[in-house]
Amino acid sequence: MDRRAFAATAAALLLQPRLALAEAVPLRFADLYVRGRELTPAAAALDGQLVQMTGYMAPPLKPQIDFFVLTRRPMSVCPFCETEAEWPIDIVLAYSERPVEVVRYTDLIRVTGRFETGFETDEETGFVSFLRLRDITYRRL
Amino acid sequence: MKVTLLGSASLLALALPAMAQQAVPQAEDSYFVEGREQLALQIERQPNTNQAKNVILFVVDGLSIPTITASRILEGQLQGVDGESNRLSFEELLPWSALSRTYTHDAQVADSAPTATAMVSGVKSVNGTIGVTQGIEVDVCASQAGNEVTTIFEQAEEAGLATGIVSTARITHATPAATFAKVAGRDWENDTNLTDEARENGCKDIAAQLIDWPAGDGFEVVFGGGRGNFMLADQTDPEDETQTGSREDGRDLIGEWQARHNDGVYVWNQEGFDAIDPANVNRAFGLFNRSHMQYEADRETDAGGEPSIAEMTVKAIELLQKNDNGFVLMVEGGRVDHAHHAGNAYRALTDTIAVAEAVEAALAAVDPEETLVVLTADHSHVFTIAGYPERGNDILGIAGVADDGKPYTTLGYMNGPGARLDEPRADLSEVDTTDPDFLQQALVPLGESETHAGDDVAILAQGPWAHLFHGILDQQVIYHVIDHALALNDRAAN
Repeated sequence: MDRRAFAATAAALLLQPRLALAEAVPLRFADLYVRGRELTPAAAALDGQLVQMTGYMAPPLKPQIDFFVLTRRPMSVCPFCETEAEWPIDIVLAYSERPVEVVRYTDLIRVTGRFETGFETDEETGFVSFLRLRDITYRRL
Repeated sequence: MKVTLLGSASLLALALPAMAQQAVPQAEDSYFVEGREQLALQIERQPNTNQAKNVILFVVDGLSIPTITASRILEGQLQGVDGESNRLSFEELLPWSALSRTYTHDAQVADSAPTATAMVSGVKSVNGTIGVTQGIEVDVCASQAGNEVTTIFEQAEEAGLATGIVSTARITHATPAATFAKVAGRDWENDTNLTDEARENGCKDIAAQLIDWPAGDGFEVVFGGGRGNFMLADQTDPEDETQTGSREDGRDLIGEWQARHNDGVYVWNQEGFDAIDPANVNRAFGLFNRSHMQYEADRETDAGGEPSIAEMTVKAIELLQKNDNGFVLMVEGGRVDHAHHAGNAYRALTDTIAVAEAVEAALAAVDPEETLVVLTADHSHVFTIAGYPERGNDILGIAGVADDGKPYTTLGYMNGPGARLDEPRADLSEVDTTDPDFLQQALVPLGESETHAGDDVAILAQGPWAHLFHGILDQQVIYHVIDHALALNDRAAN
C-alpha cells in the first residue's frame, strides 16, 4: 500500500463508525439522469441517502482544500482554472470534513457520502453544483 | 530447378479445392462447410464497372482493425449470439476491401485533418491542416495561398450533383471540415480560434467557410454537432440556458444560412429533425449539440434529443435523392475516436455498432448497383485485443491473471488515461470492467488522451468500381477511386 492509499484508507477507517450506521447504496454515473438534468427516479429517491460512487477526482483548485469534483471520466483541468473548459453535466461535487488527499485525475476512486440533489452555489468559491456528496470518504481502487 | 518446383506447387494448389471437397476427412466439419460457402461467394462476386450515380463515404474516425473485431464481438454478445462469428453489417454489405496507408506528408502517425484531405482531395498533406497541400506551413495563414485544394464535394457541386455531410462530431471538426474548408490550422473552428496572423492575412474560420462555401448551390444536407461555432457569444444555446455561442465577430451564421436558403430548414433537436419532410424542403441544416453530439451510449439522455447516425444518414439520402444527377455524401462516425482517446472501449465499440446500423440503413435506401459506398478510417488507435480468453468470454471482461497476480482485461491500450504514473497498475479484482464507464488499462501514462496509431486501416466498399479497392493502397487513392467512379470530368464534358 502506498502513502496515498494508506492515508485515504486511514481517513476512511477514522470515519467508519458513523458511516457504518447505514449501508451505502451503489450509484453509477450511468444511472443519474433520464434526459438533460432530469434525474432518474432511482437517483432522485437517493437524495439524502448514503451512496457509493466510482469515478475520478478532477485536479483540485489548490493544495489544501476540503472538496473536489468527482467526474465520470478523467478531466485534466480543475473547474476554476479553465474558464473555457466545457464541463460535462454529469459531475458531482464531493465535500470532505478533512483536507482532501489528492489522487491523480486518471486514477479510479470509490467515494462514499451523503447524496444531495438540486442547484446550490458554494459560498466560498461561487461554484454552482447540481449534485453533491457530503461527509465523504474515498479510496483509490 | 527452383522454377520447376514453384510450377509444381502451383499445380498442386489448383488441384486442392476439388480434392478437399471429395476426400478430406474434415469435409463435413461445420467450419469447413462455412469456409466453402464463403469461397463460393468470393467466386461469384463480379466487379461493377458502371458509372456511379451516387457516392457515400463513411469515415469512422479511429476505426482500427481491432476496433472492428471487438465491435463485432460486442454486438453479438449484446444480441445474445456468438460474438466471435457475428458479422457487423458492413462486413457483408461492403465485400471489396483494401488496407490504407495513413502516414501523412510530415508524420508517421496521422491526425484526422490531413487524412480527411487525402480521402476527399487526393493528396497527402501536413498534420494539423485541412484542405491544403504539402506546401502548407502549420498555423500560418499566409502559406495557404497556392496550396488550397479542390475537393470531390466541390467538383460534385460544380457538376450539378447534390452534396451532404453528416457527423456525430462538430461539423467544423477535421473530417467533415475537409469537404469544404481550407485552413492552415485545424483548430480554427470559429473566429475566436483564429490567430492574429490569420486575422491579419484574411483567413476565415471553418464555420464561416461552411456558410460562405461558394461551390455550386451549397450543401443540401449538413447534420452534426458544433452549434456553438455558428452562434454569437450573446446568443443563449437553445438546449442549455447556461451556455452561449462562441462567435465574437457579429456573424450569426445560423441566421445567415436561414436567410440565404428559404427552401431549407434549420433544426437543433430530435423533434425538429423528425419534422423534416423531404417532400417539402430541399435542404436541411441540423446542429444537434453545442459541441460534439452524444456518444450513442448516452444519446437517450440528451436534453434536446438527438437523432442517431442511422437516422441522419437516411434522412440525408432522402433529401439528396431529390437531385436526379446523383449525390455525394460523407457520413462520419466521429466519436469512436473520442472514446478511444478517453480510453473507454465501450463507447468506441457501441459507436462503431451505431455506424454499422447506419450502413445497413443506407444500403436499404439506395440502389446499390448505382451507388459506390466506401467505409474506412482516417487512422488507427493504440487499442488491442489480448490474452487468451476463451470463446464467448465477455469482450469487456477479464482475459486472465498476469505475473503481478492481478487480473487483466482482454481490451487495452498502449497509452492513455488508463496508465498510472510511476506506480504499478491497479488491481481490477473488485472493479466491474464491463461497466460502460470503465477505462481500460494502459501502459504509458498520457493524461487525458490516448493516442492515434500508425498501423494501416481497412477500406471496405461496394458498388461501381468498388473492386478497385484491393491490396494495400495509399489513403489518397480513396479520392481517386471515387473520382473515377463518378466520372465527373466526363459528365462536365457532356
